Amino acid sequence: MSLLSVEDLTIALPPGGDRAQAVSNISFAVDPGEVLCIVGESGSGKSVTAAAIMGLLPRTLRGERGRILFEGRDLLALSNNAMRALRGAHLGMIFQEPMTALNPLMRVGDQVAEVLAVHGVGGAKGRVPELLAAVSLPDPARLARVYPHLLSGGQRQRVMIAMALALEPALLIADEPTTALDVTTQMQILRLIKDIQLRRGAGVLFITHDFGVVAEIADGVAVMQEGRIVEAGRAAQVLNAPQHPYTRALIAAVPHRVAEPAQAIGGPVLEVVGVRKTYRRGGGLFGGGTPVHAVADADFVLRKGETLGLVGESGSGKSTLARCVVRLVQPDAGAIRFHDTDLARLDRRAWKPFRRRIQMVFQDPFASLNPRRRVSEIIADGPIAHGTPRTEALRRVRELLDLVQLDPGAAERFPHEFSGGQRQRIGIARALAMQPELLIADEPVSALDVSVQAQVLDLLETLRQRLGLTMLFITHDLRVAAQICGRVAVMQHGRIVEQGETAQVFAAPRHPYTRSLLDSIPGRGWTPVEG
Amino acid sequence: MKAFARAYARNKGAVAGAMVVVLVGLVAALAGWLFPFSPWDMQGAPFRPPGDTDFLLGSDSLGRDVAAGIAYGARVSLLIGGVSTAVALLLGVTLGAVAGYAGGVLDDVTMRFTEFFQTVPSFVLAIVLVAIFSPSLGSIVVAIAIVSWPPVTRVIRAEFLSLRSREFVQAAHVLGHSHTTIVFREILPNALAPLIVLASLMVANAILLESGLSFLGLGDPNLMSWGFMIGAGRSVIRLAWWMSVFPGLAIFLTVLALNLIGEGLGDALNPRLAHRR
Amino acid sequence: MAPARLARLLAQRVVKIVAVVLAIAVTNFLLIHAAPGDPASVIAGESGAADPQLMAQLRAQFGLDQPLTTQLALYLNHVLHGDLGTSFRQGRPVAELILERLPATLLLTLTAFLFAIVTGITLGAMAAQRVGRIADSVITVLALGFYATPLFWVGLMLVLLFSVWLNWLPSFGMNTIAAGYTGWVAIADIGQHLILPALTLGLFYMAIYARLTRASMLEVASQDFVRTARAKGVPEGRILRRHVLRNALLPVVTFAGIQAGQLIGGSILVETVFAWPGIGRLAFDALLARDYQVLLGVFLCTSVLVVLFNLLTDLLYVMIDPRVQTP
Repeated sequence: MSLLSVEDLTIALPPGGDRAQAVSNISFAVDPGEVLCIVGESGSGKSVTAAAIMGLLPRTLRGERGRILFEGRDLLALSNNAMRALRGAHLGMIFQEPMTALNPLMRVGDQVAEVLAVHGVGGAKGRVPELLAAVSLPDPARLARVYPHLLSGGQRQRVMIAMALALEPALLIADEPTTALDVTTQMQILRLIKDIQLRRGAGVLFITHDFGVVAEIADGVAVMQEGRIVEAGRAAQVLNAPQHPYTRALIAAVPHRVAEPAQAIGGPVLEVVGVRKTYRRGGGLFGGGTPVHAVADADFVLRKGETLGLVGESGSGKSTLARCVVRLVQPDAGAIRFHDTDLARLDRRAWKPFRRRIQMVFQDPFASLNPRRRVSEIIADGPIAHGTPRTEALRRVRELLDLVQLDPGAAERFPHEFSGGQRQRIGIARALAMQPELLIADEPVSALDVSVQAQVLDLLETLRQRLGLTMLFITHDLRVAAQICGRVAVMQHGRIVEQGETAQVFAAPRHPYTRSLLDSIPGRGWTPVEG
Repeated sequence: MKAFARAYARNKGAVAGAMVVVLVGLVAALAGWLFPFSPWDMQGAPFRPPGDTDFLLGSDSLGRDVAAGIAYGARVSLLIGGVSTAVALLLGVTLGAVAGYAGGVLDDVTMRFTEFFQTVPSFVLAIVLVAIFSPSLGSIVVAIAIVSWPPVTRVIRAEFLSLRSREFVQAAHVLGHSHTTIVFREILPNALAPLIVLASLMVANAILLESGLSFLGLGDPNLMSWGFMIGAGRSVIRLAWWMSVFPGLAIFLTVLALNLIGEGLGDALNPRLAHRR
Repeated sequence: MAPARLARLLAQRVVKIVAVVLAIAVTNFLLIHAAPGDPASVIAGESGAADPQLMAQLRAQFGLDQPLTTQLALYLNHVLHGDLGTSFRQGRPVAELILERLPATLLLTLTAFLFAIVTGITLGAMAAQRVGRIADSVITVLALGFYATPLFWVGLMLVLLFSVWLNWLPSFGMNTIAAGYTGWVAIADIGQHLILPALTLGLFYMAIYARLTRASMLEVASQDFVRTARAKGVPEGRILRRHVLRNALLPVVTFAGIQAGQLIGGSILVETVFAWPGIGRLAFDALLARDYQVLLGVFLCTSVLVVLFNLLTDLLYVMIDPRVQTP
């Protein structure tokens, strides 16, 4: 008998949405000791499935049909009280966002002890350090007494796992538990979950959007699209011989090629020499505070026609460095030479002519367009500010929309009428309207679903070749970097620790940090099949 | 705009509030036609109860018409509520925008200044200001504006601080737009939603403040106002309850309506929160 | 919480308090100068002799012939020594008048505050718990109603209802003067007199706290850590108490601190309606008599009270929120 078996489950959405059901007729099973991954893009219904099993569906959603059998009992038929008794004791769950998942006003230890206490287990307090130690948290006795805001994201996620596993539940549900974490932390958490699962023989239902994570951890896979399971099977089979076209498209969209160093590289376009930026954290009107070295003595050269990847985890200083180049951040020291001009020495007015030649594409498609302006204005505003006649700038909007493969009718609409991928194209069109020679792309695809991500990456690469752009590409995702960047520079704690041709850096990393980053790419041993 | 109107109309209370405010506005505008005499003039016998043939809402101790007083008082309330809010908004938005956009020392100084005004008990300060500069329409408007701007500054500053680091504002910098363009075209239009909600609540609050001032005898001596009428009726409440009850109801309805409008605007401008009410 | 953290916070706040009190005193000084008629001409006018020589003598006596900065320094020095000037109407030091009236005001405002915060939070929490149901609607409408009603009018209506029509409660003063009660009877007598004014002042703030608590609880209830608690199998009642309510109270505490100033302002109106012998009533009488020294003394004193109250809420906040950073 399976530990968990979902049979023909259908969950209705409130009327008036874009589809009638959150999930439709899905069936799958999890055995003890098995990791089943449910994979899908945003809106596929994977999180709703997890919530339904836990009995944590929002009030607006309801199970319409089907059964959720857990150890032989139908969870949908249980009373609220019986369901509550199962949660935490027999069903454990961890969530995506560790930063907000813990009560900020309660000590970590008390939150862990609460699971034991509400399920009637005595001596709760005393067992906390042991539970925290089991998830490899350092100095558990001290940690139990602190409040969550003092812990990092990875540490908080470990606390969540300790809480979810405190009563050794038979089933652990993990809803994108590593998505909000840095890549090295992600790998540690994945290993921890796998390790605990192996030791205890619990079943794990693991929700993710990332096929790399699937390759790393899954025994079985179910692929969801718009509320339906389109393909299910053993991990090796689905990953290496996908049958359904959607699965194939998703796997093909996982970045997996290694870019060639660009041919016919010209002279240097941008030279960054000894750039430094230090922030002060805390402190008030009269200074003080602790210095944080966001960027420390960064050097790199960008030659005409190439793409340099700036790679690192959050807080490594890669975004700050990119923002120094476009003067969104004023560097404390160093030179930023664009052809023959040191941009670091220019004031705001002297900088203005260079705005035409250096442009930027931003990360968040939902925050990078002014919601109150029409697409045509968003794209034409820049050239108009630099003296292009209004009519001409507006006329060019259509060409630009065409260039980024959007319908020219988009011009008169507002940003909220577009999807994330489309907005990102609008952002690219806005940058290209200035006809720049240097394009800085700050994590341009990290907020997008995999399939959209692949399209935007293709678009950027095509544009770079067609328009002869030079590109500085900032990313935390090594797969993306490998696919699009001829050279990469790896950043850690504000320093560039290693740079070189991508193929070389990936094949033979010299710095230990680069090595650990590469080792942390989930599913590294797996090569996605072409579509 | 249409979607906004539809969202607003979904809130029944807000629609009722808007109707009441329109009604009060009409009464204020038509006061001279409805009651073609000064509200200060004696119109008949004193202490006539409401429903009397001459006095719909009764007469006061000097034989003045309570209904006429309420109609003329509506003018004062709406005028002072509107103008003092406009002045406070101008002051608050300017300071908040400067603090939030410039940041640094300018922000620190502005915020200390704002905190000071939030610490001082606002009603006491309003009393002191009106008393010292002698009660008049102008001094009352200024006093209410002076005690009402700090929340505006706080809200606008917070909006500017958060919008300033939003990517579309950074994009505007990268495109080479001037500070003026960035403030007025990129940031300010996106900071207006909470301001509109706040403004309707501020008008309500200003009307309450004005009534409190005129109740204490600090109203403009030439203008009939609701607070003054209640103050005048206070000592004879055992004899003529209507003298204080009706002007109070007028204040209550107007302020309630403005609050309902504020809630409706808040829901309509922030649909994410609307379903939670 | 660590005593060191508390001590640092206290030290920091004391600096702030001194700065604020200084700023208030300077404002006060400027207002005194803006007020019509300086003390010399007022006294001269009172005595009926506008003799220029006497005026000059009086001016010299009050230091009014000195440069403005010297006068400011003189004034600050006086304030520092508790000298807030003299009421020319009553011929007594302002500080003495205020101190005499202060206990009555404190009794009234603290009672009203406690009433407002306890019932406000309770009603707000009840409404949030039953969101969308009848109890919620009733509480929401009630809160909105009291929020929209002028304080003094509520006071008058309560007088009309409980004193004039029902004749249950006294509507005037702080005690039954002629009765000459002593001991417990006197306290009960004051308590009886306190009910209506405290209710009047409290109802408005109760409405504010109820609305705030309700909104805050709904906000917190949708947060991730509440979902975590549910996933742990914590019962709903315990989730409400231990997870939702505590977090929801943080903004209420912040707001209560800010509102303290309004509460003291409101007491002027309430004391006027009920002839409660506190500093609000003192301010009203000063207003009628154009006794600006007293009025400004009340302004200074209430401002300082607000600052002290803010300090209390700050400390309270630090005790419940571990995240507050202290430098």
